[in-house]
Amino acid sequence: MSAQVSYNMATKQVRYEALVKALHGDLFRYAYWLCHDKHVAEDLVQETFLRAWRALDSLKDEKAAKSWLITILRRENARRFERKRFDMSEYDEAVITDNHSASNEQEIENQWLREKIAKMPEEYREPLVLQVIGGFSGEEIAKLLDLNKNTVMTRLFRARNQLKEALDDEPKVRGQNNG
Amino acid sequence: MNPKLEARTMDDLQFRRRIYADPNTREEDMLAAMNEDPAKQKFTQELEDLDSRLFKAMNVDIPDDLSDKLILRQTLASHQQQKRKSRVRLALAASVAFAMGLTFNFMQVSSAYSNLGDYAIAHVNHEKDYFSNSAPANVSLSALNTKMAAFNGTFTSDVGKLLFADYCRFDGMKSLHLVFQGETSTVTVFVVPRNEELEYSANFSNDELIGNSQQFKNSNIIVVGDKNEPLQKWQRTIGENVRWSI
Repeated sequence: MSAQVSYNMATKQVRYEALVKALHGDLFRYAYWLCHDKHVAEDLVQETFLRAWRALDSLKDEKAAKSWLITILRRENARRFERKRFDMSEYDEAVITDNHSASNEQEIENQWLREKIAKMPEEYREPLVLQVIGGFSGEEIAKLLDLNKNTVMTRLFRARNQLKEALDDEPKVRGQNNG
Repeated sequence: MNPKLEARTMDDLQFRRRIYADPNTREEDMLAAMNEDPAKQKFTQELEDLDSRLFKAMNVDIPDDLSDKLILRQTLASHQQQKRKSRVRLALAASVAFAMGLTFNFMQVSSAYSNLGDYAIAHVNHEKDYFSNSAPANVSLSALNTKMAAFNGTFTSDVGKLLFADYCRFDGMKSLHLVFQGETSTVTVFVVPRNEELEYSANFSNDELIGNSQQFKNSNIIVVGDKNEPLQKWQRTIGENVRWSI
């Protein structure tokens, strides 16, 4: 019996490490766009994977792993807000810390876009991140966010529409990008 | 619905909305619409370009050692969990041992018999084959009194021919078991600490045996013998010869 237990533990460990390696990047980026802070994002990812470890036996289908982890992470993030509800100085949505030196044009545009993305309403940004970074379909996003698919598609439309207009209105960025 | 038909009827606004919502859509009606209209194709490309720029912007750097940290933290956490589990197991084992100890003690002191008499008769029956009335008296008064000391008692003189004297368990209580030579068969005397568990029974009997008890301050003395034995006399003799120290 104890051999069976340690065999199961070893299998669980292998599964866990595979999940971490395959998905920690997407999870971290998703967390970052939820909270706009690399340290908080890292904490969120840590908490998420710890909870995932504890509940790993409930994950039957590896293909569902990413959306399962995202669901855990969203719940963790909601908890963070519960805890910090009274801490008003906690975060400023518009402030995006940039660890890159703006060494080239691509970085300048990335930084500019990040600020725009950060300023977008949460309800537009979240489905967009799930689609662009997570690679989820409209149906999958609807399921994750507990919305109907039409609402998700409308929000995705508005999100890109806003960003495209902002880019089109910003000749400097476009100029640098084009030239 | 025929996708071609829908493509023809799909207006520009609808097309744009759907491309905005998902530039990478590969739905048939959308592909058909692109094929038919170069402007739609160009617009799709613009949005694909937007998406690749969005992807670059959103694709923030991951901390270098994040995956190592995640694995390390899990390893530590599950190690803690294992330690907690083994502590819980140890505590459980201790509780079980404690409960067993209590139960054992309880069984030791709790009585299967509800009164002194029943127990005394059962005890005598159980041991009757070990003692013979014709055995030589081989316990001296002083040897008896050494044992009686445990009950703070002494006999001032012999009360009869003593065949056997030793401590025994009288329904879980340490007591003194004396076997005297009687007129036709052995007479058994128990010196038993007073105990609330067993109901005191002054006189008792079954088909063959009779018995009676005397209460003293800290002990009961129970005499059991064959119905032919003059137990009243035994009782009186014992009563007259026993002395209790404080």
